[in-house]
Amino acid sequence: MNAPLTLAHYMTLAGILFLIGIFGALTRRNISGILMSIELMFNAANINLAAFDRFLHPEGVTGQALALFVMTVAAAEIVVGLALLLAIYRGTDTVYAEDFNLLKG
Amino acid sequence: MIEHAYLIPLIPFAASLIMMFGAKEDPHSPAPWIGIGAMAICLGMSLSILNAVAGGTVPLPYEHNWQWFSFAASIGGKSFLYDMPIGVLIDGPAALTLVVVTLVSLMVQIYSIAYMHEDARYKRYFAFVSFFTASMLGLVVSSNILVGFMSWELMGLSSYLLIGFWFEKDGPTEAQKKAFMTTKLGDSGLYLALLFIFAKVGSFQITQIHQFINQGYMTTTVATVIAIGILFGAMGKSAQFPLFIWLPDAMEGPTPGSALIHAATMVAAGIFVVARLYFVFLAAPDAMLAAAWIGCITAFMAAAMALVSYDIKRVLAFSTVSQLGFMMCALGVGGYTAGLFHLTTHAFFKALLFLGAGSVIHSVHTNDMRLMGGLSKKMPVTFLTMGAAILAIAGIPFTSGYYSKDMILANIYHANQPIFWIMLGTALMTAFYMSRLFILTFWGDDRDHEKHHHAHESPFLMTGPLVLLAFLALVSGFMLDRKGLVYSLLAKPTITAPQAPAAAEAHPAEAKPAEAHPAEAKPAEHAAVAVPVEHAAPATEAPAEAHAAAASHEGGEAEHHEGHLPHWLHLALPFLVLGSIGLAFFLYKGPKYAVADGLKANLAPVFRLLDRRWFLDDAFDLLVVLCDKVAALAFWIDANVVDRVFVDGWGLLMRIVAEVSNLLDALFVDRTVDGFGGLSLDLGVGLRALVKDGQVQEYLMYAAIAFSLAATLILTR
Repeated sequence: MNAPLTLAHYMTLAGILFLIGIFGALTRRNISGILMSIELMFNAANINLAAFDRFLHPEGVTGQALALFVMTVAAAEIVVGLALLLAIYRGTDTVYAEDFNLLKG
Repeated sequence: MIEHAYLIPLIPFAASLIMMFGAKEDPHSPAPWIGIGAMAICLGMSLSILNAVAGGTVPLPYEHNWQWFSFAASIGGKSFLYDMPIGVLIDGPAALTLVVVTLVSLMVQIYSIAYMHEDARYKRYFAFVSFFTASMLGLVVSSNILVGFMSWELMGLSSYLLIGFWFEKDGPTEAQKKAFMTTKLGDSGLYLALLFIFAKVGSFQITQIHQFINQGYMTTTVATVIAIGILFGAMGKSAQFPLFIWLPDAMEGPTPGSALIHAATMVAAGIFVVARLYFVFLAAPDAMLAAAWIGCITAFMAAAMALVSYDIKRVLAFSTVSQLGFMMCALGVGGYTAGLFHLTTHAFFKALLFLGAGSVIHSVHTNDMRLMGGLSKKMPVTFLTMGAAILAIAGIPFTSGYYSKDMILANIYHANQPIFWIMLGTALMTAFYMSRLFILTFWGDDRDHEKHHHAHESPFLMTGPLVLLAFLALVSGFMLDRKGLVYSLLAKPTITAPQAPAAAEAHPAEAKPAEAHPAEAKPAEHAAVAVPVEHAAPATEAPAEAHAAAASHEGGEAEHHEGHLPHWLHLALPFLVLGSIGLAFFLYKGPKYAVADGLKANLAPVFRLLDRRWFLDDAFDLLVVLCDKVAALAFWIDANVVDRVFVDGWGLLMRIVAEVSNLLDALFVDRTVDGFGGLSLDLGVGLRALVKDGQVQEYLMYAAIAFSLAATLILTR
């Protein structure tokens, strides 16, 4: 059990996390749940960035820095998403994604 | 003077242009004197040339050429510039013909001053006459047969203009069209012959064509084809059987114009061209024989028609045709000298006859001889001069016609016996119908008192030319025949064709001494000349050759052998002619000529045949009608067979093919295209059915599926 953590472990973790995020984004009815699942996928990507940086280019911190930027942008995105959610809820009294089909052509 | 011979056609040409475009139309216009002056200058030049030629002071033939035009040509891959020369070629016949043409034209023009004085188109007539003469002179002097042909065609145009001079009437317009088309029919043959010559020889120069034949490059077949073509042209122009139908109708023109056509220009041109290219005929014995027979048939038929006609100009026209037949026949049997000699003498007495007839018509205002009679008292000068012409054409001894016709008959006698007897009969017929004309017109008492009362002698401008021509008609034969002048002047051209050696081999004994010992040539020549008679083969190369060779050495006595009849015939001929004249006198002397009428009643079918001109006009009419019917049939075939079957049928076939093609297109091609379109439409509709109600998570799911599929494909590659 003392085997060292390899890149594969991190990638497996990130893959599982991404799939969980996909599953959540596809199955959750609540829009806030979908937004959370999207956050999970962001995080999976961030883990990948950090892991690749740590194992493939150990002399720099480019990957970690990029992960930090992604978090920042994700925070901003979630702010916009929650603002939209609030606006939708106020307008239609519901937060379920299946009730919104205004974009259907 | 001979170096300025090129001016001879150019001066009258310029004069005609000046008269046509420079002068105002006026019945008293002085413009005709321009043409007369020009012609007088030409006559002077021609006389000086003839003098030089006859005197032997210029080397013959005189030829001078100028650059005319050049064109790029290529033969066998080699390209070069072909230079076409233009020039003059004067030999004995040309010099003599120049004098004849200019003299007759001058006489005609002077005469016309008086004859045409009341005509509305006075100066135009003289412009036409000058133009006509200029064309003829161009043909005579030209060294280039192409230029000759141009002049020939210009002559056709001029004759058209002159015959139809009084175009207000129907007769002249019909006659001019007939003359033009008939001669054009003949011209087509000459044109083909010229093309053939150029294709074979590569030159239009007469001397070069002669050399080409001399060097034996021209086979007999080619020469025959060319000679027949030339003969065809001459048949049209010189009114030979069966194309002589235009000449009697050409009498619709002004009478002096007829004199010009009949004596100096138009009809002489055909004979002259045959003589000019005589070496081609020498190389083609078959064509010579054809010419002889055509001449013979023409002479006989025309003379027969002249026997029954009562129109004074028609009789003269038939007589011209008949005399031209004599000339053609003479050329055909190898009597080159005789033919051209007769052309010369005939020009004088025929011009005289026409001008005399014009004088009579001018006086009594009719062409019908039955309304004349007894004019000798009223018109003594015309009577006497016409009498001279009648004597000449009938062949009374020591007149010009006697010498030339005698020589023709002698040539024919030695070449072809059957033709000779026909021609002898024709010569007697000539004497008969000419005396008949003379007696009906001038002899006895008047038949139509009204006309006779108004008849008067013509003015001096008309009788002057008559007197001069009468003098020439009487003495020109004697002048030319004296000291063999005609033989040196009108020397027969020779060719040294490949046949010649064969001929020399055939008669080595005769031919060689003739050349070696001129003094002994006479017996040798007899033997050589006797050959064609024995074999009854006319105008074969051999005797002509041997004969010419001997002639060039002797230049005198023996050469004239062919020009003499057997002694008894020579003596008998004048008596036969006198008998013929006597018969005419007996038949037509009274005012009623009852004997002749009785004869006419008894021989009605013959007279009818001759009156209708051997039905040749009807034959040509029939030919035209037949051609019309054939054309109609051809048109019917075109409209009903070609158009229906081929054009329409082809169209129908095309339509069927197109329909089938259209069907196949609709069935297969269009279906395929439509099928693909429909398929993609169906696909799109089917795929759209998968998504419902714009659920964003569904879209996301498809995107995820697609993305993962793509990723799988890329990663597992």
